[in-house]
Amino acid sequence: MKITLHHAHEARSMRVLWLLEELGIAYDLKVHNFFDKSLRSPEYLALNPAARVPALEIDGEVMCESGAMIEYLCELFPDKALGRPAGDPERMAWLDWLHYAETIGQHCANLTQAHIVLYEAHMRSPTQMSLEARRLHKVLGRLELQLADGRDYVMASGFSGVDCAVGYGVDIARRFVRFDEMPMAAAYAARLAARAAYRAAQPPENATLIYRKDFYEVPNV
Amino acid sequence: MITLHHIPFSRSFRILWLLEEMGLTCELKQYSITDGSLRAANFKAISPVGRVPALEIDGTTIYESGAIVEYLTETRPDLGLGRLPGDPERVAYLEWLGFAETQASILASLNMQHLFMGDPTPAAPVVLKLEAARLAATLKAMDRTLADRDWLLPSGFSAADTMMGFNLFSAPYYVKMDGFPNVLAYIERIKARKAYQDARELDGPQEFYKKDFYDVPQA
Ligand SMILES: N[C@@H](CCC(=O)N[C@@H](CS)C(=O)NCC(=O)O)C(=O)O
Ligand SMILES: N[C@@H](CCC(=O)N[C@@H](CS)C(=O)NCC(=O)O)C(=O)O
Repeated sequence: MKITLHHAHEARSMRVLWLLEELGIAYDLKVHNFFDKSLRSPEYLALNPAARVPALEIDGEVMCESGAMIEYLCELFPDKALGRPAGDPERMAWLDWLHYAETIGQHCANLTQAHIVLYEAHMRSPTQMSLEARRLHKVLGRLELQLADGRDYVMASGFSGVDCAVGYGVDIARRFVRFDEMPMAAAYAARLAARAAYRAAQPPENATLIYRKDFYEVPNV
Repeated sequence: MITLHHIPFSRSFRILWLLEEMGLTCELKQYSITDGSLRAANFKAISPVGRVPALEIDGTTIYESGAIVEYLTETRPDLGLGRLPGDPERVAYLEWLGFAETQASILASLNMQHLFMGDPTPAAPVVLKLEAARLAATLKAMDRTLADRDWLLPSGFSAADTMMGFNLFSAPYYVKMDGFPNVLAYIERIKARKAYQDARELDGPQEFYKKDFYDVPQA
């Protein structure tokens, strides 16, 4: 099976890169620069007309949605037990948390756009930025609650593909929301960061990064 | 017993419509987007994030519309509305479920900034313009797909189409639709479905939009 992942450091494609590492399967990696025109080249637009990452080429098909990629890859390699297939007692929760990861992702994307892509003050609205940060905080409250029983991962039975989706979201969310009142989520992020596959999916030194500050404060209204 | 927590014309309509397509009856609990009922204590006990949909089913509650669509179709495979593992359309099906939320996130952001931040909105015109352009790009992609088929998947109607339930109602408030004739024809096909009409009947009046079109305000 031939698999090629198109990736930009710190973008949603990190979820899939991390999962590929967890699965321990062979793949090719094409790294794109998020800020130059590389996602708008004719070759890339032929793969992903929305000019976004990730794109996954897999056995002649092209996928553009990270959540779909995670679900499909977990299905293709059932022996790695990173999915929870239909009939599994955790199936419903696994699906819910996979999609929940994209709810985190949407708020992070809105905040990234406002803080980083639209870098000039007149281009952005502090009201919107503060609202998005509060909404993200509230979304994360659900994760804190899920981890309250002391489980290590989102599924009680142990690590799974949804942790790649949710864990990436938490990583980005930490740039926009303080985790002081979310100790379980903070510990979860640290636990994930200690995994070898997570580390293998991190940007190399000197890579062009999207996030250059540890924390992005909402500008004064 | 299935209970759907619902706001008219929101993402929970996707589920209301799918339940009708599946011939499943549910108890409908109605909330309002404007009156603060989503933040009331009784709803907080049901939904930790305070959003709809929330579906009580099989002894638990599930929240994300995409997950609900997957779960309902997987647990009722004989109805044929999902494309389950091993189906040649499995990848396309999962991609459309994801696409629907990618598009919905743009709409949610436009709703937030045009409708819920005050009047006149303190939103940044640059952002509003950018989001409308991104929305148009997603509609263009759909229009291309729908050029040679009636539904999102070549084999016919599926639960992926019901994910468009919120999107296609909301999009015309922000983007002129004349440029997307295949999407317009698709909307007409949807409106002709009995299950869609029945779901609309149950849905309730929309409380989001006060005019027909929201243009980008001049800076
Ligand atoms: N729903 C998609 C979203 C993908 C997405 O928006 N990717 C961002 C990076 S995190 C991107 O490439 N943005 C570039 C752009 O929108 O121009 C997914 O989950 O894969
Ligand atoms: N990703 C979730 C999004 C749910 C969502 O944001 N629902 C909106 C209505 S379309 C909502 O409840 N908004 C009320 C609020 O956030 O206060 C899904 O697909 O179900």
